Amino acid sequence: MFTATGLLSTSSTSLPKPPEDILGSSMFVSNGLLGISPQTVHEVPESESQTTVLNAPSFSFLGTGLLGTDGASSGSSSDTKSTSLSRLQSPDPDFPPISEALGLPPFLPRHSESSSTVMRIPRSTLRATTYDGQTIYLRRKSKVIYTAADASHSSSRSMGNLLGIPIHRLMDRLSTETAANLERRDRELQAQSSIPGKAAVEDMLWVDRYRPRKFIELLGNERVARDALSWVKQWDWCVFGKSRGKKRARDGDEDANLDEFHRPQEKILLLSGPPGLGKTTLAHVVARQAGYEVMEINASDARTGTKPVLLVIDEIDGATGSGDNSNTFIHKLVQLINAKPRKKERSSHHKKSNTGRPILRPIICICNDQNASSLAKLRPHAYQIRFSRPADVHIVKRLKEICEIEGLKADSRALSTLVSVAKGDLRGCLNTLQFIKTRNEDVSEAVIRKATSGMKEADTTVHSVLNNLFTPLTKKRTMELGLTEEEESRYVHRLSRDIEGVGRDSAIATGCFGHYATLRRHDANFSRHEQGIEWLTTHDRLSSAMYTDGDFALIQYLPYTLVPFYPLFQEKSGERVERNQADWEHLQLTRSNGEIFKSLAKCLHTATARYGGNFRHLISTPTLQIEFAPVLNRIISPPLRPVNSQVTRPQEKALMNRLVDIMAALELRFVQERAEDGTLSYRLDPPIDVFVTYDGKRAADIAVSRYAVRQLVSAEIDAKLIARDTEIVEKGKRGKHDFFGKSSSRSDETEIDSTHPSKRVKIDTRDIADKPPTDFFGRPITVPSETTNKAAARKNVEKKYRVTYKFLEGNSAAVRRPVKMSMFL
Amino acid sequence: MSLWVDQYRPRTLDSLHYHQGLSDRLKSLAASGDFPHMLFYGPSGAGKKTRISCTLRQLFGPGVEKLKIDQRVFLSPSKRKLEINIVQSNYHLEITPSEAGNYDRVVIQELLKEIAQTQQVDLSAKQRFKVVVINEADSLSRDAQAALRRTMEKYMSNMRIILCANSTSRLIAPIKSRCLLMRVAAPSVDEMNTVMQFVAKRAGFDLPPDAADKIVEDSGGNLRKAILVLEALKMQSPDLTGPLSIAKPDWEVYCHKVADLIVSEQSPARVMEVRAKFYELLSHCIPPTIILKTVAERVVERVDEALKADIIHWAALYEVRMRNGNKKIYHLEAWVVKVMSLYKQFFYNIDMSEFD
Repeated sequence: MFTATGLLSTSSTSLPKPPEDILGSSMFVSNGLLGISPQTVHEVPESESQTTVLNAPSFSFLGTGLLGTDGASSGSSSDTKSTSLSRLQSPDPDFPPISEALGLPPFLPRHSESSSTVMRIPRSTLRATTYDGQTIYLRRKSKVIYTAADASHSSSRSMGNLLGIPIHRLMDRLSTETAANLERRDRELQAQSSIPGKAAVEDMLWVDRYRPRKFIELLGNERVARDALSWVKQWDWCVFGKSRGKKRARDGDEDANLDEFHRPQEKILLLSGPPGLGKTTLAHVVARQAGYEVMEINASDARTGTKPVLLVIDEIDGATGSGDNSNTFIHKLVQLINAKPRKKERSSHHKKSNTGRPILRPIICICNDQNASSLAKLRPHAYQIRFSRPADVHIVKRLKEICEIEGLKADSRALSTLVSVAKGDLRGCLNTLQFIKTRNEDVSEAVIRKATSGMKEADTTVHSVLNNLFTPLTKKRTMELGLTEEEESRYVHRLSRDIEGVGRDSAIATGCFGHYATLRRHDANFSRHEQGIEWLTTHDRLSSAMYTDGDFALIQYLPYTLVPFYPLFQEKSGERVERNQADWEHLQLTRSNGEIFKSLAKCLHTATARYGGNFRHLISTPTLQIEFAPVLNRIISPPLRPVNSQVTRPQEKALMNRLVDIMAALELRFVQERAEDGTLSYRLDPPIDVFVTYDGKRAADIAVSRYAVRQLVSAEIDAKLIARDTEIVEKGKRGKHDFFGKSSSRSDETEIDSTHPSKRVKIDTRDIADKPPTDFFGRPITVPSETTNKAAARKNVEKKYRVTYKFLEGNSAAVRRPVKMSMFL
Repeated sequence: MSLWVDQYRPRTLDSLHYHQGLSDRLKSLAASGDFPHMLFYGPSGAGKKTRISCTLRQLFGPGVEKLKIDQRVFLSPSKRKLEINIVQSNYHLEITPSEAGNYDRVVIQELLKEIAQTQQVDLSAKQRFKVVVINEADSLSRDAQAALRRTMEKYMSNMRIILCANSTSRLIAPIKSRCLLMRVAAPSVDEMNTVMQFVAKRAGFDLPPDAADKIVEDSGGNLRKAILVLEALKMQSPDLTGPLSIAKPDWEVYCHKVADLIVSEQSPARVMEVRAKFYELLSHCIPPTIILKTVAERVVERVDEALKADIIHWAALYEVRMRNGNKKIYHLEAWVVKVMSLYKQFFYNIDMSEFD
């Protein structure tokens, strides 16, 4: 655009300007030398058509990528602009865009002498991209040798004559030359467009070429598109300051904009759906429709446009964010969403703290898997729109249109086959069609089959693979896959590919395991079952060998170990494989029981620490589970009667004591619990009674302990534990007491205060005074305030002192413990 | 406070009840001043650990019974934290490296190096070396065992190792050759009876001989189990009168049920039933090898003579596979299907394959 104006100025002003300028303009490259005066630019539209003609070719002579601005930017004549715009908006972008993109006026002279081309040295074409992503090819202007020679000639002569050839003649020559050039170009272009472009056109993917650019062109579920647009529109108040589309003010809309920035409730739009349905396209189209400039998260060229930006984050399910790490992408994003402005004067840009700035522009996230674990944190903040596959009819229709434009012969049946194989993936369909096109074939079913072999294989699930394994192919599916009889009977390749495609062979193995024994087909001597389970064990051994040795090259053989289930167990009218939960439930149960064992082991550990290593031999792995757990359950359930402890018989009392001792030692407790129906019960904690409970029944020989008994035992255990704790405390205190005794004997009052800031204990000074003062070597000294030392202190440990106590009640926040007088004496 | 198993455990070599010869040898070894590395092996509940602690006491005196328990954290190569409980006194240290699972090598190496690099500083200690007791040595990984062999030679001057294992078969030969092997056999029925009577006497009650016999018979040479059962019995029926029923562990009863199911019917539906039972057993954390062994033994009891060898053969085969494999239930079921097939073939004595 800038270059164009520069050139415009030179050409339009060339007539009245002095010859130095002509020299410059005849070169046509050094346009930058000429100053751009605003008034000349303004003159341009008014200038006569002759100038425009001259103008346009000079524009093309430059032949740089800058030229790529299509009609809208050239702005030289109003009618070119309109035509090019109409081309932009036309739903059929097929016809060759170049002639119009150049902004050539249609009234160019078509005929001129072709002799001028003789002098030209042909050059390669240049490639340029327009702003909307279209590629156009420009033939470089070949160097005009004679003109250059003439120019130099004239310039050399101008030393004497100032200008050898009069300026008007120079100008004439220039104009005819350009006209000839233009004409030549035009012919070339015509030639190019008449042959359906071998080189130029096919360089572009059809997917890009036929990407919808306007809202109404969008294919698929209209509701989805409308939802997305209305969400973006909700931002209008925040972004554009006023609510634009207020034509239909609904009550619901007002409620949604409760935010102080008038943002919608959900700050993020999450588009999800299988690939190839046009999620990215929708985001872009909707953004443009609503008047935003799209900025992709990875766009390195963040252009500064006049429009507000709408951020599109594509393939967000690949972003990091599943962990708890706060540095992940998702976490940051959520932080941004939740960010609240610290102060009201948020608009003042002096504030450096970027942390608290709220997002004020819409963000659209795009992902395939809505339930990806990494998105878990994002989901509550996002307005989710789920893409679903549009009806095949629509896709077929669109494909047919495209085929017609591209001159590809295609019948609807072939196209619908393509769509069904591709499972609605429009991108895949288009790529396939383009591929077929390049091979100059017609679109027939056979070709489609060939081209799509291997397409979408990976989309199978564990469930579908299991069904494939246990049921033979239906006729319909055979048709769909286009298999011949022979191919159908060759199952190994097909099934192993299926299994490989899922990639979760162990899940499939578990599924096989869950299903194979439920089949009804008669198996008199178990030979088929034997073989089946043999294959499963083979699979297990192979895979665990693979994982332990890290020898992952073996993974290619794993699918084959599961394929034999097809010949062994396929059933025509077999039931569909149901999801087998047994293995999963078993895993969960094992895990929870493992935790119980762990806590029991922990109890044993603490008991070991407390009782001089007594229980430690019971912790080892098989002993704990198979010997100790069952016996312990019997040990702790003696036949006790729920009677008051005052009236029990001595034998029962002994039993009770023993029970409480053991349970307290192992830190087993009865914990009171209220069931849902309100009944109270005492539960063993840790619940080791699960280890004598099989199939939900307790062992018969263990008496069911009654509520009252448990209550009694529980109270006793609590008392015991409390007693033990205080005992430990007192032991600890006694240790401290020695310490105090020493310190008190060795130090005078001031020392006490400084070294032991204990507020509770104050040593009476008289006691110290009673003591005969000694020097370093323990000899008595005469001055009492002089050094009393450690050696002396050690000597005097035995001596008893009277102590007074001062207890400052409620003065300390520290833990209070019961303290006995005796501990200080 | 403690269970009888601990309360009445002999503390010195002299007070051990059986294997008198072994005790004498241990005593003379401890007195010789040239104490070797040792490997105690023998069945569960035979008294290996008791003998180890008695030997330690003989070596270092009563100070070895002052135990403290530390929880140490080791870092695996992949920076995972491993918490290991270490029981130690001033003179020895006990570890159970199987707590560390696959990373036992790290634990062994770090701990042993640490011990080996520190000299005994207590001048009044009877021995210049410290002892490291490694429990469940047969579950040490090969890496860990290889790591042990060098250390055992290099740091002989201030460290001795006592290994404790159920069998030597899973220990590598270099380790075995560096140790003095001590087999602690399971006590005989008479020896166990004496111990039971001793425990009863110390606990202050009379144990009827037939009850003792029954317990001993059930315990299968496992003295720890016998004493635990005795205590449970005493708790459950305090006066030990009337018909005594010695409780079998519940998992064992359940295993026998499984075996009965296998023998009584052979059909895919029964396979599913058995599978559910196996799941139940496995979810109670009963080791699958023990399940297979118990069920197989019970099945063998109940089938015809001609089948017994085969059934045990297959049980052994699938146990090996199970150890190598990951999904234990597959291998258990594989064995069940095999046994059912064998049983059917034997029962009808014809090849049934034509009837499919």
